Amino acid sequence: MLNTFKFALLAGVLFTLAPQAYAETPADTLVIAKTIDDIISLDPAEAYEFMGIEVIANTYDRIMRFEPTDITKLVPGMAESYTASADGKTFTFKMRAGQKFASGNPVTAADAVFSLQRVVKLDKTPAFLVGQLGWTKDNVESMVKLVDDATFTITIGEDYSPSLVLALLSSVVGSVVDKKVAMEHEASGDMGNAWLKTNSAGSGAYNLKSWKASESVSLEANANYRGGVAKLKRVIIKHIAEPAAQRLLIEKGDVDIARDMQPDQIAGIAGNKDITVSTIPQAALYYVAMNLKTAEFQNPKVRQALHYLIDYEGMANSFLKGKVKVHQAFWPSGFWASLDDNQYKYDPVKAKAMLAEAGIKDGIEFTLDTPNKAPFSTIAQAVQDSMAKGGVKVTLVPGEEKAVLTKYRARGHQMLIENWGPDYMDPHTNADTFARNTDNSDAPKSKPLAWRNSWDIPELSKRTDAAVRERDADKRKQMYLDLQKDVMDQGPIMIMFQDTVQLATRANIKGYVMGSSSDVVYYNLTTK
Amino acid sequence: MSSAQSSTMTWHDWLASETPTSRVQALSSRVYQSIGAVTANPAAFTGLIIISILILIAMFAGVITHGVSPYAQILAERLAAPSTTHWFGTDELGRDIFARIVYGARVTLTIVLLVSILVAPIGLAVGTLAGYLGGWVDIVLMRVTDVFLAFPRLVLALAFAAALGPGIENAVIAISLTAWPPYARMARAETIAIKNSDFISAVVLQGASTARILFRHIVPLCISSLIIRLTLDMAGIILTAAGLGFLGLGAQPPAAEWGAMVASGRNVILDQWWVATIPGFAIFIVSLGFNFLGDGLRDVFDPKKS
Repeated sequence: MLNTFKFALLAGVLFTLAPQAYAETPADTLVIAKTIDDIISLDPAEAYEFMGIEVIANTYDRIMRFEPTDITKLVPGMAESYTASADGKTFTFKMRAGQKFASGNPVTAADAVFSLQRVVKLDKTPAFLVGQLGWTKDNVESMVKLVDDATFTITIGEDYSPSLVLALLSSVVGSVVDKKVAMEHEASGDMGNAWLKTNSAGSGAYNLKSWKASESVSLEANANYRGGVAKLKRVIIKHIAEPAAQRLLIEKGDVDIARDMQPDQIAGIAGNKDITVSTIPQAALYYVAMNLKTAEFQNPKVRQALHYLIDYEGMANSFLKGKVKVHQAFWPSGFWASLDDNQYKYDPVKAKAMLAEAGIKDGIEFTLDTPNKAPFSTIAQAVQDSMAKGGVKVTLVPGEEKAVLTKYRARGHQMLIENWGPDYMDPHTNADTFARNTDNSDAPKSKPLAWRNSWDIPELSKRTDAAVRERDADKRKQMYLDLQKDVMDQGPIMIMFQDTVQLATRANIKGYVMGSSSDVVYYNLTTK
Repeated sequence: MSSAQSSTMTWHDWLASETPTSRVQALSSRVYQSIGAVTANPAAFTGLIIISILILIAMFAGVITHGVSPYAQILAERLAAPSTTHWFGTDELGRDIFARIVYGARVTLTIVLLVSILVAPIGLAVGTLAGYLGGWVDIVLMRVTDVFLAFPRLVLALAFAAALGPGIENAVIAISLTAWPPYARMARAETIAIKNSDFISAVVLQGASTARILFRHIVPLCISSLIIRLTLDMAGIILTAAGLGFLGLGAQPPAAEWGAMVASGRNVILDQWWVATIPGFAIFIVSLGFNFLGDGLRDVFDPKKS
């Protein structure tokens, strides 16, 4: 004991004295620099933030899955197979045999049933995902049923396409929680929610060792993982807010991967042989919205004219270079049923002519709400400048993002700039918000983007509902393409860009898996 | 002044006379000597020059920049290094930094001016009232002052700015709310020193009202030290305003405000040093100018020194 202490003391002294040359990260540890201050909870029934979902994708396995080895294909994950009933309303899942949780407990169908019911019963933010299937606190026990140790069934209340149902079970709410461990930590009927916020009880590639808010997340390899033990034993994600600081860290080799470097920092490390930069398209979209509560925007001509007053290419080729690609339809490029024709170009002359046709000759004035952080504030200033060239005077109203969103949800804006990321990999998730608004009154049950901009669209809403029920994949695809075209033509939401991430990794790092959303970022195949 | 006198005396003699013969002469002589003292003091003179230049720049911003707008974006020329076309380079949206610095002088001066107009009267009113009336008025007012003094200034300003919402007007209010207590303290100390003097007693005996005594006899005597303190404080005000701008709680984009400009240049500081450094330098020079001037003024007007 004393010897260990002496050794530790000596080692400590030596480490302090040693020059900072040993910047390299430990051989069995992956160190990532990223902003992680959006995490609110690491409970799969509660997390709905980008980083929280990413951590959960690594600590929990899911019923349906985009496997780390092939993130393009949706396959059964913890389930081995599924069958759908003839009416498409009941799905029977068979669990893979021999799976174990990190705790050593065997995985059974009871855990899967518990996990799905738990999401609905806790009723936290992501509960609406499965709520769409017609599940409520009262009926979920009859809708999600245990058959035997290896089998369970789910029943859906709506007439949805099977691909949507499967996509939902591959989202964060499809994570399977270790029932025994969760219930051991239950406090006042919360099904382990308080404990699971900062601990994990799953069967993913890693276990959560600690999460310190706005500081770090550390993970430890799970020896029982279905896909084999992770190659690197530990993962540490450090909260580094400044892109410039991330650049310094990766240049020095203090981190293996920098996640939030901006185009200007990426340009700065060009030619550095120790760092590899890869560009990965993301599913998130940046847009400027126009609220139809402002009288001028009720004229579709005016809405269309403003589309021509955004310098899409100018921004994408300058301060957003490598960070975005121009995309104007509501379902991101690179996914099934995406519409990749960008019909609008920056053209102030045309815009002026269209505005004149719409009876606006002396110019108009609007306010534009924007979150006061990059890249929104920069995009907003560029939009302000290009709009001015078409005779549209825009006054910026910057604010904290939370405040901007509150105003948005109360329809208090004229114009507003925001981004939108799909909740799961099916076009319905975006069609549901961009092209569906069934209750345009001031206090509806849900507040999709179309509602937030007071866009009353009974006909489009019906088509959206029809598309999600269509069982023929080709027909369904065409329906989404048409919806996207119509929203692009008439809609109040000017979609400008699809996000891309420029990932900077040290040259010795291989096998880091990063897809288009937080659900498909996997650390377990990384080597160095 | 008779014609005989002016023929035999130079302007200098008249102004420097130890025995003024009229009120006009006495006043002119005092101003003349003060100007002489300020210009003779190198620090104060430097400060005066810097501030004068700042004021001139702010007044003639359009002429100085040859009509280049501080808001005009040329995305293709973003982050250009200083050159003959863009003296201080361009920022992340391709705006001319020289033009933004020049127009930023207006924002800075506006903030300084508004804060001064708000702070001095509040401090003076609270301080002289507390000092002259004494008793419970003094106790209440001074405890309120203590409450404000108990917080670190920038932190309190941050809290106010966050609560009021970002913007220049609110930044001014936030800074003023945190800047007045020292003035109140100072005015109170001076008032207490003055209120027992014979001339005040004389005025009281003549039946002057409290208001008259405060406004006509006490306030004018407090003003000179207040102005010195204010000049010294201006550097602090500029820094606080820049700090609020830096944190996104002051002037809002696209306004050309030096603090906000430093903040926007922070991300590219490793490769494009000029975006953050030049506005930082502007803040530094102007703060230094106000400090020099304040220091010099104190030297000049400090009765104990002469």
